[in-house]
Amino acid sequence: MKRLVWLASLTLIGLVSVSGCRKAAEAPKADPLLSAYDSEPDWSDSQKVIPLSYEQAQGKRIFYQHCVWCHADATPAGPSNRSNLTPNPPLMNDGSTLNPESDEFMRNIITLGGSAMGKSAMMPPYGRMLTPGEIASVIAFTRAIAQPPYQPPGRPGSQYSAK
Amino acid sequence: MPAEDMGKLAYRTRLAFAVCSVIFVAVLAISPFKDYRREWKQYKRAYLRFAQSRPDTKRLTADYNPGIDQIWLPGLNVTDRCPTCHQGITQPTLADASVPQPFRTHPPIPHNVRDWGCTACHRGQGPATEVAEAHESTLAWEQPVLPTHFIQASCGTCHLADLPQTPQLTRGRQLLATLNCQGCHKLPGIERPAMLGPDLSSVGTKVSREWIYKWLKEPRTLLDKDGNVTVNGYLTGEEPRMPKFRLSETELIALSAYLSAQKAKALPAYKISPAVVATWSKNPELASQGELRFRQMFCSTCHSLAVTRAGETKLIGGDIGPELTKVGSKVNPDWLIAWLRDPESYLPHTRMPRYGWSDEDLYKVTQYITTKLVDTDLLSTVPKLDAPTDEQVQLGRRIFLEKGCASCHVIEGLNPQKDFGPDLSALGAKNASELEFGASRIPRNLVSYIQAKLQDPVSVNAAARMPQYNWNQADLDAVTTALLSMKGAPATSALQNLVVPRKQFAFRPTGAFAAVYERYKCYTCHTFNGVGGDLAPDLSYEGSRANRQWLVEFLKSPQTLRPTLILRMPQLNMSDKDAATLADYLSMVMQHPAVNPATMDAKQFTPAMASLGKQLYEVKYQCQSCHTIGGTGGYVGPNLNNAGLWLTPAWIQAWLRNPQALVPDTIEPRRNLTDAEINALTAYLLTLRAGIKPQSAANNLASHVVSEGAGQ
Repeated sequence: MKRLVWLASLTLIGLVSVSGCRKAAEAPKADPLLSAYDSEPDWSDSQKVIPLSYEQAQGKRIFYQHCVWCHADATPAGPSNRSNLTPNPPLMNDGSTLNPESDEFMRNIITLGGSAMGKSAMMPPYGRMLTPGEIASVIAFTRAIAQPPYQPPGRPGSQYSAK
Repeated sequence: MPAEDMGKLAYRTRLAFAVCSVIFVAVLAISPFKDYRREWKQYKRAYLRFAQSRPDTKRLTADYNPGIDQIWLPGLNVTDRCPTCHQGITQPTLADASVPQPFRTHPPIPHNVRDWGCTACHRGQGPATEVAEAHESTLAWEQPVLPTHFIQASCGTCHLADLPQTPQLTRGRQLLATLNCQGCHKLPGIERPAMLGPDLSSVGTKVSREWIYKWLKEPRTLLDKDGNVTVNGYLTGEEPRMPKFRLSETELIALSAYLSAQKAKALPAYKISPAVVATWSKNPELASQGELRFRQMFCSTCHSLAVTRAGETKLIGGDIGPELTKVGSKVNPDWLIAWLRDPESYLPHTRMPRYGWSDEDLYKVTQYITTKLVDTDLLSTVPKLDAPTDEQVQLGRRIFLEKGCASCHVIEGLNPQKDFGPDLSALGAKNASELEFGASRIPRNLVSYIQAKLQDPVSVNAAARMPQYNWNQADLDAVTTALLSMKGAPATSALQNLVVPRKQFAFRPTGAFAAVYERYKCYTCHTFNGVGGDLAPDLSYEGSRANRQWLVEFLKSPQTLRPTLILRMPQLNMSDKDAATLADYLSMVMQHPAVNPATMDAKQFTPAMASLGKQLYEVKYQCQSCHTIGGTGGYVGPNLNNAGLWLTPAWIQAWLRNPQALVPDTIEPRRNLTDAEINALTAYLLTLRAGIKPQSAANNLASHVVSEGAGQ
């Protein structure tokens, strides 16, 4: 009898307290393209689409206005200027060439031009046309489309997850 | 009660009492426990733990508040508690993708989160403190968070003027305009063209009843299940402007009867001189000569043709005018001649220029079109249709009005029904419960509804009158974005004050220039003070840029300045007088306020300066990476072979100093040149005087066009 009362009351407490909890809300659907600001087809694999954040999408816009003419093999106007130039400018998704370059180097060569960085003078400076934010977005876009994919320099303590 | 039992009872009572107390305390504890377990408090604690794991813990927790964070902006109707969970939203160090959500920094947009709140752009329920209530549609709140893919819609709610940061929204608005959605719907802020669909008042003189039947039945054909759009059987990326109406056989017969009876404004027939016909009609070269003229006049700037190369058939050419691969089987040859001579008399507001034709050219080109651009099988699937009966014509007239054809196509004497389709000016703010989903099985939300309705109108409403469009996914998303941006009149006056209206431009030339400008339809491709097309250079400052003599020669014999472009200035066969009128007006009126060619004396540039300029051009700045001189150099900028005759010294100087000040979106890099360098480069460019070559061996030109087409 005693046991029964204990059991009953414990169950009751358990039930009441469980009723106070609620099922955790499901996270909104994670379709990577639906939650992306824009996207860009993978240049080396037309089946793949790379989702872009706001900043990367702004970089994409600036890339297709200013850079595409020499740093891609297909341009909105058709033929590319890339083959006219010696040395050949790197393709913007060429990860093996661009991934090892630091963000700072990329920022400097875009801002100051090739000759200031000891590279070809055919790369003009864009520091007086594009804002630092726009240049950062172009770099972000480059990193997003890189093949092989770009790995940012590691930062300890960033492997935290919310739940 | 026996004495020995009393202790037992007391024990039992005490036990019962104890159990009750425990239960009572437990019940009391539920409330604080529940409170402790609240979703937002869990995120608060998770943020603290997260901040501990970061090197800059102190800064991340500096303004930590254990309670609810709220952005309250009464003027904007914003009470947003989103930062309660999204705690890193304004922390600059939490931007990178390794930071778990909901703690990541907001991307660097031009608006500050604290001044604008969150729901003004993202929608959702601002005061909610639970994940599901804040983000999703609930019984009490039907405006869920907008998927980021369509977020540009929110920019468009206030920014009626196009922004460079929102290409998807801009594309959607352009599609709404070019597809003539305005014919049936009220769409605020979308430009309404002077002509929606072509005027059909005398379409019976242009095409046969059979062709009308076929066109109405299948304006464009869907080739495959992937949704590839075909025009006359050829793949194209273009959106067809004429949508497909779901017409029954009776309706097709009646409409084709009604339209083929429309002959109100027949063009007077033009007889090509018999001498020309006699000389050329027996010549086996007639059609190929016609094709050559067709190419030399750059008809392909506006019209496309199917070209088969290496087993692949593609449409090559512009999309301003209709595709012409099979036009010879479509139009009446007499109509064609009359149309080419004077398009405007047949079709008011047409964008086709009135060329200066010689009888010889007219004969060659029309013969080429009617004998080579044909397909004998084009109408083979159409049943035999006889002369239209009165009954069919009357029925056709009724259907023309009922189906909404009259909303886009003018027919003299026919008044279209006002407000044929629903007003869409507040579609983007609609709740899901206000929408009609019919028998469809799509998710019950606004985005899915808009996309389903656009893709297949009958899927959500079996009685829909809206015709069928063929969208590719990118265009569908763009139009959806533009529609979502239309949320009706702003709710508060503060919101009303935030609206950035679209700039209104006006360019109304008068006098002799206006007549020439209208005749050659310069505005179809060029922009004048904000008015006109974007295919060709903006001519708003052409008078400051180009020398008058160069303009005259260019208008008489246009040559491309940009080696990569296949779209060219048409050979309009302009008279000397017309060319002089245009050049005079451009150089007198279309001036940039900061560039005055008249103040510049070209004599100040010495040969020594020019040779220094050549050095700068070739070595220091390596301009040849983009510009061509004498056959070598890049394809990006215009070629500079003739810069000395083409450009004014004042323009070159101002351009080198700051190109974006003259043409804001030019890609010419703005360099840090000294005045001496600018003068030296100007002196060098002024020595480049290759002249405009007369149209040389026509065969070369034709093969040039073909090879450039191949490059596409």
